[in-house]
Amino acid sequence: MKALMSLGALVGIVGLLLLAGMIFDIIPSNTIRLVEGYMPMQMLFEVGCYVLGFTGLSYMLNAMGMGIPRFWQGIGFWIFFLLYIKYRVYPPIPFSVRAMYGTVGLVAVLMWVSANEEDWKKFKQPILNVLDAQTGFNKVLRYVYLIALPILTWGFSYNVMMPKSEEPIELRTVHPAPPASTKVHGKTYVLQTSLNPYRVNPEGKYDQEYSNSLIVEQGMGRLMKPNANPWDEKAEGYLKYVREGGEIFFQNCHFCHGDNLNGRGLHAFAFNPIPANFTDPGTIAQLQETFIFWRVAKGGMGLPNEGFPWASVMPPWEQHLTVDEMWKVILFEYWHTGYYPRTWD
Amino acid sequence: MGVVTRKKLLSIIALGAMVVALLLPIVMALPSPATGEEVPVAEGAQKEGEKVEKARDVYYKTEGIVVGAPAPKTTDGPADYPRYNFESRVLLWFANQQHLYYGSFVLAVPIFCMIIEFMGVVTKDKALAKRYDQLAYDFIKISLTAYSLTAILGGILIFTFLTLYPTFFSYLSSIFRPVMHIYALMFVAESGTLYIYYYGWDKMKEGFLKWIHLSMSVILNVIGTLLMFLANSWIGFMMSPAGVDEQGRYLGNIWHVIHTALWNPLNLHRILGNMAFGGGVVAAYAAYKFLAAKTDEERAHYDWMGYIAMALGVAFLIPLPFAGYWLMREVYAYRQQMGITLMGGLLAWLFIIQATMIGILFLSTNYYLWQAMGRMRGAEKYQRYIKYLVFLLACGFMVFITPHTMVMTPAELKAMGGQQHPVLGNYGVMSAKNGGINVIITTTVLSFVWYMRGNKVSTVSWARFGNIFMGVFFACAYINIIFLAIYGYYIPANVRVGLSVPQVATTLSCLFFMFTLNSMMMKGAKQMGPIEWGKISARSQYALIMLATAFTWMMGLMGYIRSSVRLFWHVNEIMRDNSPWAYTHTVGFAANVISANVLFFWISILFVFWLGSLTAKKAPVESKVGVPGAIPQPAGSH
Repeated sequence: MKALMSLGALVGIVGLLLLAGMIFDIIPSNTIRLVEGYMPMQMLFEVGCYVLGFTGLSYMLNAMGMGIPRFWQGIGFWIFFLLYIKYRVYPPIPFSVRAMYGTVGLVAVLMWVSANEEDWKKFKQPILNVLDAQTGFNKVLRYVYLIALPILTWGFSYNVMMPKSEEPIELRTVHPAPPASTKVHGKTYVLQTSLNPYRVNPEGKYDQEYSNSLIVEQGMGRLMKPNANPWDEKAEGYLKYVREGGEIFFQNCHFCHGDNLNGRGLHAFAFNPIPANFTDPGTIAQLQETFIFWRVAKGGMGLPNEGFPWASVMPPWEQHLTVDEMWKVILFEYWHTGYYPRTWD
Repeated sequence: MGVVTRKKLLSIIALGAMVVALLLPIVMALPSPATGEEVPVAEGAQKEGEKVEKARDVYYKTEGIVVGAPAPKTTDGPADYPRYNFESRVLLWFANQQHLYYGSFVLAVPIFCMIIEFMGVVTKDKALAKRYDQLAYDFIKISLTAYSLTAILGGILIFTFLTLYPTFFSYLSSIFRPVMHIYALMFVAESGTLYIYYYGWDKMKEGFLKWIHLSMSVILNVIGTLLMFLANSWIGFMMSPAGVDEQGRYLGNIWHVIHTALWNPLNLHRILGNMAFGGGVVAAYAAYKFLAAKTDEERAHYDWMGYIAMALGVAFLIPLPFAGYWLMREVYAYRQQMGITLMGGLLAWLFIIQATMIGILFLSTNYYLWQAMGRMRGAEKYQRYIKYLVFLLACGFMVFITPHTMVMTPAELKAMGGQQHPVLGNYGVMSAKNGGINVIITTTVLSFVWYMRGNKVSTVSWARFGNIFMGVFFACAYINIIFLAIYGYYIPANVRVGLSVPQVATTLSCLFFMFTLNSMMMKGAKQMGPIEWGKISARSQYALIMLATAFTWMMGLMGYIRSSVRLFWHVNEIMRDNSPWAYTHTVGFAANVISANVLFFWISILFVFWLGSLTAKKAPVESKVGVPGAIPQPAGSH
C-alpha cells in the first residue's frame, strides 16, 4: 500500500512540476502532446492521474506528519483544475467553457469536502477561525477581508459595467435546421430522402455499406484501405467518383477548407470565423449528405433565419458547379475525413 | 357483523361506480364520433348528388373523407389575436406552465400514495405499516388542495386560450371536440374517485375494506394517466399533426389525430417526468418540515418521509433520460429539421442548460445519499471512497454539458483556430454525451448500493465472492460505457445511434442485477447499528430542496423547448402563427420567464403546504406517532 501511495505521490509531484512549467512558460504545453484522435480521453486520463497522484501525495504527507488541512486541499485542488484547463489544454479553451468547467470543479470540491460531517468540520474550521478571530493573526486577517472583499466586489462590478470595445459575443448557430427540400438547377431535392447518386458499387448500384468500407481510416495518419486507392486508374464506381470529387475539391474548395480538410486553407484566416473543419466530429460527421448538398449549393447567402448572424462567406456553389460535381465533392469530403454520413435507418 | 357487511357492500358499490365512471367515457367514445360524423356527411352529400371529397392524411398517408374545415389563415388583428397591452404568448405560457406544474403534481402524488399504501398493506411490521399508511394519507391530503388549484388553473388556461387565441383554439377544438368532451367526463370521474378515496380512508382502513380502498387508488391513477394521455394528444398534434390533410382538414379518424408520431414518446416521458417531479416536491416539503421541526420525533418522521419521496422520485428519474432519448429519436425520425433545431441549431443552448439541470439532479441525489450514510453506524467505511465517485460524476457531468457550439469572443475564436475545438469538440456530440450521462447514472446506482449496505455486514457464505463480483461488474460496466462512447466516433451514424442501446442496457443491468444481488447478500445481514432517523445533516435537506427546484426549473425549460420547436407554427406545417410573437425568445428572456414560473409555483405550493398543515393540527395524535423504539426500515432499501 505504502509503495503504491509513494508511486502516486511521485506522479503527483511530477505532474505538478510539469504544470508549473507550462504556467510559467518554461515548458511548452505541447511538450507532452495531446495525441490527435485520442485527445479527449487523454485529457480525462491525465486529470484522473492527477487525482490519484494527489491522493498518494496526501497519504505520504500525512504519514510524515505534514498533512495538508482539508480546507487547503479543497482550495488547492480547485485552483489546480482551473490552471490545468487554462494552461495544459491547447488550443486555448474559450472562457465560457472554462467557466462552466470551473463551476463544476468547484461544486465537485464542495461535494467532496462536505460529504461527511467530520470532513465538513475540518473544511469550515479555518473560515470559522477567521470569523471568531481568537488570535492576533486571525484578527488582522478578518480586517483584511473586511476591507478587501468590498473592494473586490466593487472592482468586479466596475469591470462588468465598464463599456468595452471588444466585438460582442454571438451565439452562432453553426448547423441551422435545413429546409424540408431545396431546389437546385431546377430540380427539387427532399433532404430527408435524397441520396448521393455516386455512392455506388462497381456495378453502379447505390451501396452505402460498400462505400463505407472503402473510406480512409480515422485517427492518426488517415491511411487508405488496402486496394482502395481512388487514384488507381482501374478504380471504378465509388472510388472513381471520389477521385473526381477530389479534383473538384482541389480546384475550388481547398483554398479555404485546406488540403487536409481541416478548415485551414490559404485564405482561411482572412475570414472570421474561419471555414468549417471537416475533420472535426462535430461537422460533416453529424450530418446527412443532403444537408451538405444544401449548404454547398446555397452557401452563406442561403442560410435560413435560424443561421443568424449568417457569418459565412461560402459561395452558393450552384452558380459555379453542376449538381453532379457537388455530389462528387461531398463524396470526397467524407472519404478523406473517414467519416460516414448520417443516415436514419 | 351487519355493519361490517353493509360497509363492505357500500365499498364494493363505490368501487363499481368508479369502474363505471372510468369506462363511461370510453363506452361513449366507442361509436366513434368520427364515424358518426363521417356517415351523415357522406350520406348528405350523396343525397344532394354532390361529390364526396377525399384527401390524404399528412402523416399516415391514408385517404379519408374530408369532414372538417381547413386550418384558418390568421392575420394579425383583433379577430384572430385580441390582446391586452402585453405579449399574449407570455400570458399563455404562464397559465400553461402553472397548470402543468399542478397537473403533474396531482397525477404523481396519487401514484405515490398507491405505492406507499400498498407497502403498508403488505408490510408485516404493524408499526411500520401504520406509518406507511399515515404517510400515504399525508400525501393525498396535500394533493387534494393542489387538485382544486389544478382545476382552477385549467379554467384560467382555457379562458386565456379563448380570449387571446380564439381562432387557433376554435380550430383545435373543432378537431378534438370528442376528445375534449371525454377529457371533461374523465375529469369528473377523477374528482369523484379522489374524494371517495380520501374521505373513505378512515372507514376503509382494515382487512378486506383496505384492499377495496387500495383498488380505488388503482382506478384513480388509471383515470389520471388516461387524462394526461388525452392532453398529450393535443400537444402531439400541434408538433406532429396527423389525421388531417395538408390544409388541416379533419379526415374523420379520431385515432389518427390522437395517435400522432410523438404521442407515445411524449406519454412515456411525461409519466416518468411527473413522477420524478412529484417525488421532488414531496421531498422538498419533507425537507422544509425537517428544517422547521422542533422535536427529534418530528425530525425522524420528516427525514424518513424525505427519503421515501426522494427514492421514489429518483426511481423514475433514472429511466427519464432514456425516455427523453427515445422522444428525440422520434422527433428526428419525424422531421430532421425539428431535431436539428432542437439539438444542433437554434435551441441547442437550451439543451446545454437542460444537460446542466440533469447533472444537478443526479449530483444532488448522490450528495443526499452520502449525507444519509451519516445516520448509519458502519457506513464510515465507504466515506473515503466518495472522492472517487465525485471524480466520476464530475467527469461525466463536464462531458455532458460541453456545448457543441461554444460561446466565444472573436479573439478566442482566432486563438482556437476555428469554430471547433480539437479536444472539447469531441465532448460536444451525442456519442460522448451518452457516455457521460450513463457514467453519472451508474455512479448513482453505486451510491444507492453503498447506501443500502451502509450499516450492514453480509453473513451469507458467498459474501466475499459476491463483493468481488459486484466490484468487477461495476468496473466492467464503466469500461463498456466508456469504450462504446469512444467507439461511436469510428462507425456510421446510424450504427452509432444504436450504440445507446448497449450503453443503456449496461446501466440498467447495474441497476437491476446489482440491486437484486445486493438484496440477496444483505438478507439476514449483521447490523452494525440502527438507522438513526433524524440524525442527518441540514445540508442533505438543502440537497432535497435543490433536487425539487432543479426538477421544477427543468420542467419549465423542457416545456418551453418543446413548444418553441414549432417556431412560427401553431400546428406544425398546417396552421401558421401570424401573431406578432411568432419568433423565438432570447435564451435570457426565456430563462427569466421560466424562473418566474418556478418562483410562482413554489410560493403557491407553500400556501398549499400551509393549508395542509392546518388540517394536520386537527389530526388525532395517535395516528402521527409511531411505536416508540421501533425504527422504520424504508422498503426497497433495507
